[in-house]
Amino acid sequence: MGSLFRFRNNAGTASPAVGTTPTKKEAHPPVVTPLEKHLQDMGPIRQDGSDKFFGMENYGNTCYCNSILQCLYYSIPFREAVINYPRRTPIETLEAALEKSLRIQDPNNPIDLEAQAAAKQAKQPNGQSSARGAGVPPNQPQKPEDKDSPEYKKKVALQTLPLLEPNNNAPSYGMSESLFTSLKDLFESVVGSQIRMGIVRPQQFLEVLRREHEMFRTAMHQDAHEFLNLLLNEVVSNVEAEAAKLALLDKDVAPGQSAESLDQATISTGSKTPSTTRWVHELFEGTLTSETQCLTCENVSQRDEIFLDLSVDLEQHSSVTSCLRKFSAEEMLCERNKFHCDNCGGLQEAEKRMKIKRLPRVLALHLKRFKYTEDLQRLQKLFHRVVYPYHLRLFNTTDEAEDPDRLYELYAVVVHIGGGPYHGHYVAIIKTEDRGWLLFDDEMVEPVDKNYVRNFFGDRPGLACAYVLFYQETTLEAMMKEQEQEDLASTMASMDVNDLAFKQNGFSPMSPTGLSHFHTASQIPSPHEETTSRYGLVRAPTAPQLTPHPEHPEAEPEVPQSPDATTVPPPLPPLPISSPSPLSPKKQDAHTRKEQVREEKERKAAEKERKAEQEAKRREDFKREEAEMRAAIEASKASKAEEDRRHDDNPHKLAGGLNLLKRSSKSFSHRIGGNHRERRISSTDLPPMVAPAEQQTASTAPAAAPAVPAVPVVPDIPPAIPESRPAKDSAPIPSSKAIAHDEDMLKDSNGKHGHGKWRSFSLRKKSFSILS
Amino acid sequence: MFVLPPPPPRYSVPIAYAAGAANGMAVPMIETNNIISHPEGGCPLQAGEGTYRLKDNLHLATPPPHPSEAPILSPNPLATVPQPPTSGVKLSLVSVGQWGKPPTFLTVREATTFGEGNPALAAPVTKDPLKRRKPKSNIIKSSSSFVSRVITNELSTKRLNDRNPDGVFAFANINRAFQWLDLSSKQKEDQLAKILFTKAHMLCHDINEVTKSSSHIDIVMGSSAGDIIWYEPMSQKYTRINKNGVISDSPVTHIKWLPGSETMFMAAHANGQLVVYDKEKEDALFTPETAHNGSDETDGVHKAAAAAAAAAATAGRLPLQILKSVNSRNQRTNPVSLWKLANQKIYQFAFSPDQRHLAVVLEDGTLRVMDYLKEEILDIFRSYYGGLISVCWSPDGKYIVTGGQDDLVTIWSFPERKIVARCQGHNSWVAAVAFDPWRCDNRTYRFGSVGDDCRLLLWDFSVGMLHRPKAHHQVSSRHRNSLVGSYSQHTRVRADSTGNRMRSDSDRTVPDDEFDHIVRHPVEPRARTALLPPIMSKIVGEDPITWLGFQEDCIMTSSLEGHIRTWDRPREGVNEDHDAASTKLSSSATGGSVRAESSS
Repeated sequence: MGSLFRFRNNAGTASPAVGTTPTKKEAHPPVVTPLEKHLQDMGPIRQDGSDKFFGMENYGNTCYCNSILQCLYYSIPFREAVINYPRRTPIETLEAALEKSLRIQDPNNPIDLEAQAAAKQAKQPNGQSSARGAGVPPNQPQKPEDKDSPEYKKKVALQTLPLLEPNNNAPSYGMSESLFTSLKDLFESVVGSQIRMGIVRPQQFLEVLRREHEMFRTAMHQDAHEFLNLLLNEVVSNVEAEAAKLALLDKDVAPGQSAESLDQATISTGSKTPSTTRWVHELFEGTLTSETQCLTCENVSQRDEIFLDLSVDLEQHSSVTSCLRKFSAEEMLCERNKFHCDNCGGLQEAEKRMKIKRLPRVLALHLKRFKYTEDLQRLQKLFHRVVYPYHLRLFNTTDEAEDPDRLYELYAVVVHIGGGPYHGHYVAIIKTEDRGWLLFDDEMVEPVDKNYVRNFFGDRPGLACAYVLFYQETTLEAMMKEQEQEDLASTMASMDVNDLAFKQNGFSPMSPTGLSHFHTASQIPSPHEETTSRYGLVRAPTAPQLTPHPEHPEAEPEVPQSPDATTVPPPLPPLPISSPSPLSPKKQDAHTRKEQVREEKERKAAEKERKAEQEAKRREDFKREEAEMRAAIEASKASKAEEDRRHDDNPHKLAGGLNLLKRSSKSFSHRIGGNHRERRISSTDLPPMVAPAEQQTASTAPAAAPAVPAVPVVPDIPPAIPESRPAKDSAPIPSSKAIAHDEDMLKDSNGKHGHGKWRSFSLRKKSFSILS
Repeated sequence: MFVLPPPPPRYSVPIAYAAGAANGMAVPMIETNNIISHPEGGCPLQAGEGTYRLKDNLHLATPPPHPSEAPILSPNPLATVPQPPTSGVKLSLVSVGQWGKPPTFLTVREATTFGEGNPALAAPVTKDPLKRRKPKSNIIKSSSSFVSRVITNELSTKRLNDRNPDGVFAFANINRAFQWLDLSSKQKEDQLAKILFTKAHMLCHDINEVTKSSSHIDIVMGSSAGDIIWYEPMSQKYTRINKNGVISDSPVTHIKWLPGSETMFMAAHANGQLVVYDKEKEDALFTPETAHNGSDETDGVHKAAAAAAAAAATAGRLPLQILKSVNSRNQRTNPVSLWKLANQKIYQFAFSPDQRHLAVVLEDGTLRVMDYLKEEILDIFRSYYGGLISVCWSPDGKYIVTGGQDDLVTIWSFPERKIVARCQGHNSWVAAVAFDPWRCDNRTYRFGSVGDDCRLLLWDFSVGMLHRPKAHHQVSSRHRNSLVGSYSQHTRVRADSTGNRMRSDSDRTVPDDEFDHIVRHPVEPRARTALLPPIMSKIVGEDPITWLGFQEDCIMTSSLEGHIRTWDRPREGVNEDHDAASTKLSSSATGGSVRAESSS
């Protein structure tokens, strides 16, 4: 049984209790994944979840869900809002829940992969119940497999990383189970876990999704953008539906809670917790104005529409900027598509254009890569080359728009890989708060070069194209700070000899990001490996209950081995391909699907089309069944531009041009009428406060220093957490910045220990994005 | 053939070959011969002065992959291995005769040369100043693992002897090949020579205008590996500089001979370094001479930076780290100087016509104007958003034009140190910009731009038009915090508006930050900036256009996949003013080596 346990994960776990022979150990030297290496110097676990890097298990074509969930998780304001609404769950509760969620769910589930991971977790000294004798030695002969293939990496990840299965905590939020509560469950369990890397299993989330939405019940490929839109709308309606109930609950103190946790809760609700239910709107919602000028009476009529994301048509060899401009280009309403002018009465020729009147804080841009082609009677994927910059401003704003020069930064890209709309794979590439860009491919998380983001313009081989782009608002200062940070990182690494390895191979990486050397080093063994590992592999603990200190000395001797580990490829972990399990059919399905996709790449287009067509038919049938929900979307997809024009003033047109709130759009627009002006004012008041906040941070940083010793303890010994809390509570900051400030202090002190300069900078940037 | 070293890790995706190969997209043709075509109907460019007619389209052969490169059958689109950079086709044009010189607009007074005050850089006394030093090694017989092979034409010598001495040579990079073409030849599609490199792609190249003659052309080219080749095509000799990246190991993104210099050139590396090399000097392993940083500075404001701690702390903030100054006493080996601007890729730089200033554009979206002779940065401008890709100077040195990832071409006034106008018309990133000196005078300017949208755009602007203030409505009420600049805008008109401004810190308000004697300009909001429309916009190809050049008789572009297109200028007589102007202008030319931005 012992031979099953692999020690790649945490040197700390390699306790003698595991009972492997030393020879075995040498045969399986710990493998440092690029992510592990990337996260070496992270410092103590943070409480805001910004330092968690979890893969997500794919339950068979659920990559659409995984990629979108990851993008949302790394939207700082969105994550904060989800965690804090209706209130933040106290850490103890989270940890208690975590005990359960980290346990292997089904003891009768003898997948070797899971058993291994579970067994490993069982070894943690926290005495988790380990109910498994699942140690069936894998008798599968090792197959020569491409170790660089994503499939292999995912298998390894599933095999070795801790699995986190969020449970339904909806009652503790005072809400009934909904998509929102399961999203909150998911986020909270990741935030609350005391490990940095793992795999979260969004099974419960998917169950809720499938229970409530028939279209997701199949194991078929779904559209990530549709899912994003549905999810945001669901969150809105869940939250609103529960709002009244929550108001009652808030007054009526829940009896089971301790005074301490109540304190905590009130502090968080008093600060960053969205006091209204409108936080989704405040993040993603923008307003479009369609200006129609009647060419007869020259009267201009305006109509406002709100949007949660923009869907833009694509042109070959264009840019996102240009697509957005085209989106707002003037359009003639004539012939069959005349405009009914209220002023002069009757149908008239008119000029119409759509402009953005209110800019969203998070701009989700959907590139319409799936276009309906009339002669084929189905959707087809466009492989146009559409470039997207790291930063963006919108040209298509109205004259009255607030802050028309708002600067956005690209923070996430959802990539679709595949030849058509009905099959393929989604991954997300996300810029994390202070760890640069990461690739999230279901179970696999890998650091990537900043330039990697540019591989998905659509002109590269492999059918991978950017599909949804997430831009978040930022400021020029924040952008410049970030660039400086990159500079600084490079100066620190300037004496790095790593690149010499490339030199010999005739090229050097065009990677201006300072962090790149971490993972480039992993690609080609180089003498540099040794230097990095000498920093000490402060690996992220892999279990919720942390290894006690005595084991750390053990970790040290392991360190020098890691260079060998990377130079000498480790033997393949046995992969029990045919092991029976309840999950494996799905999993295998997923794998075969992926293989199919790979094969397809080699096949000719004709064959792909034929297959797509079959799928299309199936999907068509399927879709007919739920016409109601999806009528608008389908109509929009099926309708060509001419049709759009005919229905110009009809909301359907809007559904085509941009994805409106499908369900509640009407009610939104009603509410907006009254609400939004007020809100605007308040939000515009915020940014000037940024500077004072910063000063405060600076001035209180020394004051926070005494609290420092308490902070690093947090991840180590969970019982110490209550100790640290009084320190937090004692800071009497009633303002809305209390929490942000608190975190700043925490991070500030963390930063002081390690790499002062950029930590403190990244948090400033963060506070910008929260406050401005 | 030589024996290859053991196979190194490969490029994962050489774009030009593999792009689309697997998925039914346009696959770049792998031809062994260049193909010339004369498209029927052409692709006429309509401008005020007449119609530019497409003369021909020369499609350069994309070389097949090197035998050591394994063909990629099913590329993993998510492969995280960094990919080597490549570049679309760029041309360096040269006429060894007197023909085709662009008109010049200012006299270069007694040009100061780089490092003039440094005795260590004093030119060695040469016996015969007209005898040009050739590079060391024969490229045809090369056994280097860097050069794969050289294909020469048996008729090359004959063709060289028979050619019109005023004819234009073109040097072009495509993929791992580098071609030498004679554009005046009847068979211009047949290259005079073609060098195939083993792995590295040449990303940029430049010809020395000072040393060129009918028997000698000095070319420097920078590669994706960081190595630089000094190549002399007449003798087919070459020398490697920065061999194996011994000085700077990052790809060379742009390269130019220093104006007026016979031996020194500047190379921009992708890691944000600007390095001056001397073609005659040997390489030596480079160690930064940071101790001199600050103390050698003539500029007083730098003194405070001398404190080592402070320097270290602000290392990331200084816009120019002089890792080796041109004033360094140690000048026996390369580099002559080495500056680090940022850790961002430098896309391009351009020398001002007065040979004193340098405009550099970077991935971080900045345009940095330098007095490179003094090793100082004067201004930092920012794009509207996204990186800046291309830059050039107006022939009179008054304006700088940039193109970037905001799809905009932006005009900046050098003497007034401010943005002049944003030019909207591209549908994608702007890859190259160039002035047309034959259509510029002291009041009106013509420039062109090309981009990833496969378009060629022509723009006209005149001084009066641009200084017309744009009506801004509700501006005051609308800018809030998006007006990010914290410093007041410096819009003083310099007394010396010819561009030969002198630096004097006394008359400048020094911002709070004492290191910060540089003017960091804020991003101007859209509502306050003049917008300029193009006079002509045309899709000229099916792949992104990567280079643009103006010649006396034509406009040329080249594209990612190797299409070199040439448009003849409107016929004589269509615009007599133009002819008059050009003769007048060329007669006023002083023979100074002011170069057009034709190769920028």
